[in-house]
Amino acid sequence: MNASKREAIDRLLKMVFRATGLVTIGLLGGIFFMLLFNSIAFFAKGNPIDFFTGSQWNPGSDAGNYSILPLLASTGFVALGSMMIAVPLGIFTATFLSELAPDTLRTILKPVIEMLAAIPSVAIGFLGIVLVGPAIARVFGIQNGLNALNGSILLAIMALPTIITISEDAISAVPKTYKEASLALGANKWATLFQVTLPAALPGLIAAVMLGLGRALGETMTVLMATGNAAALPKGFLDSIRTITATIAIEMGEVPYQTTHYFALFAIAVVLFIITLLINLLGEFFANRLRKFHA
Amino acid sequence: MKYCFFCLAILLQSCIEQDKTIKIKGSDTEVNLAVELAESFHVMNPIVFVSISGGGSGLGIASLLNNTADIANSSRSINEEEITLFQQKGIQIDSFIFAQDAIAIVVAKDLPIDSISTNDLAAVLSGKYSTWKSLANKDLPVNIYGRQSNSGTHDFVKDKLSIEFSRNAKEMNGNAQILEAIRADHSGIGYVGAGYVSHGGSKALKILPVYTQENKDAVSPLDAQKIAAGKYFFQRPLFQYYKTSSYIKIKPFLDYEKGQAGQSIIHSAGYYPLRKL
Repeated sequence: MNASKREAIDRLLKMVFRATGLVTIGLLGGIFFMLLFNSIAFFAKGNPIDFFTGSQWNPGSDAGNYSILPLLASTGFVALGSMMIAVPLGIFTATFLSELAPDTLRTILKPVIEMLAAIPSVAIGFLGIVLVGPAIARVFGIQNGLNALNGSILLAIMALPTIITISEDAISAVPKTYKEASLALGANKWATLFQVTLPAALPGLIAAVMLGLGRALGETMTVLMATGNAAALPKGFLDSIRTITATIAIEMGEVPYQTTHYFALFAIAVVLFIITLLINLLGEFFANRLRKFHA
Repeated sequence: MKYCFFCLAILLQSCIEQDKTIKIKGSDTEVNLAVELAESFHVMNPIVFVSISGGGSGLGIASLLNNTADIANSSRSINEEEITLFQQKGIQIDSFIFAQDAIAIVVAKDLPIDSISTNDLAAVLSGKYSTWKSLANKDLPVNIYGRQSNSGTHDFVKDKLSIEFSRNAKEMNGNAQILEAIRADHSGIGYVGAGYVSHGGSKALKILPVYTQENKDAVSPLDAQKIAAGKYFFQRPLFQYYKTSSYIKIKPFLDYEKGQAGQSIIHSAGYYPLRKL
């Protein structure tokens, strides 16, 4: 009696836990299919070739131009710019934390850096408007600092905690014997760091960068506030840009349901989703390689 | 049992006190102003309640048609289709313009230009003129600061000039951000609701009077008299539509809006009252 009761509870709990796991997968699948379903409606109406090759996103015009190119270029610009800033900064900080910093400093610095991730994106966007924007305008002698560079700097700040935390784990996980062997062969501290430790941690560093990039690509509020939202194809980092995320955020609220414009917004959301999914998968792939490598 | 519900319904109905509540729905532009008016109106007439909700001009007019609102706020005039619907239902409606809204064209103070024609403005905002060379004789690039496409102001300016905005136009989050950007930018131009520049908000800025092909007399959006006469290009009346049959019920509120107190609330909210204060 008692044993069968326990077995029943066992089975029940197993089912509950399995169900919670499946709910997450179901949610992901559901969201993906909802996006896909609505964007298929767009491709049925519009011309898929124009969508990828045209140069204008202008849903308000009579012709209705729906080209993802300027938006994709904008998203690419800020993501690339932010990585150019965040990758060296993040990896060097991580190296400092795991290899060079004294223990007391590390125990203070690590939580402080992780706290950076807790700043709401609206607050960072606000900084972009009142602080970074005017500073950029002064430094480059331009009239207004709401541009791709501004967005890049802010997104770099937001991606830093991810990059630093994962890189630091990767560098710390490099076996001590590697370093000892290198030092025993007469290599100095810096040669050991740059030619042994960092290359050994490379898969983890790539994973860190990919996950940071994923964060930067999907960010909405910050870029919406700080990049000027001009829909023209950007030519440089000092041009105002309008990312995919900002476009969806601005236009979704007002678009009449079930129109071409409405479906077009789903179509660009799918493109963004696929990009971030690929980048996250790539990040996970490298993170797994690191785990196997050290196991 | 059936009758029980019926009685309950009557009981609830009487609780609402239909006669004492004026329901206003419609334009989001006017909702803040309407709330302010209603609050001070209620203080003066504690027995009358006014309930206000937004949702857009179209929704307001539809509510009036479906008998769920007594007054429909609308920042556009009623269209043919809606008029037909009211006629089909045999409902007589009337309108009341309680204020005027105006949109100001703003540039930096040191830009050597004093007024602008609607044609030039259309050329500037649509991106046809990329520098100030032909208008202000300065070789500065034109930087356009506008609102995002979900703003009524954005649509109003676009439709009024019948243009598409330049793709290089920056889309800011609100009126205040536009003004801040133009203050810093010697070559910027933008449009904001006149309320944002009428109460001392125009420091280090220049508000361009606008003239048209037909009327060369440039009118400033801050000129209350000209606006009352309907002479400014970027002005729109704010309507209130109501059913003729419910006029008696809403008359106290309309009178309050027309009166000194109501008009001064309209003025301090940044709109133009219909009569001189």
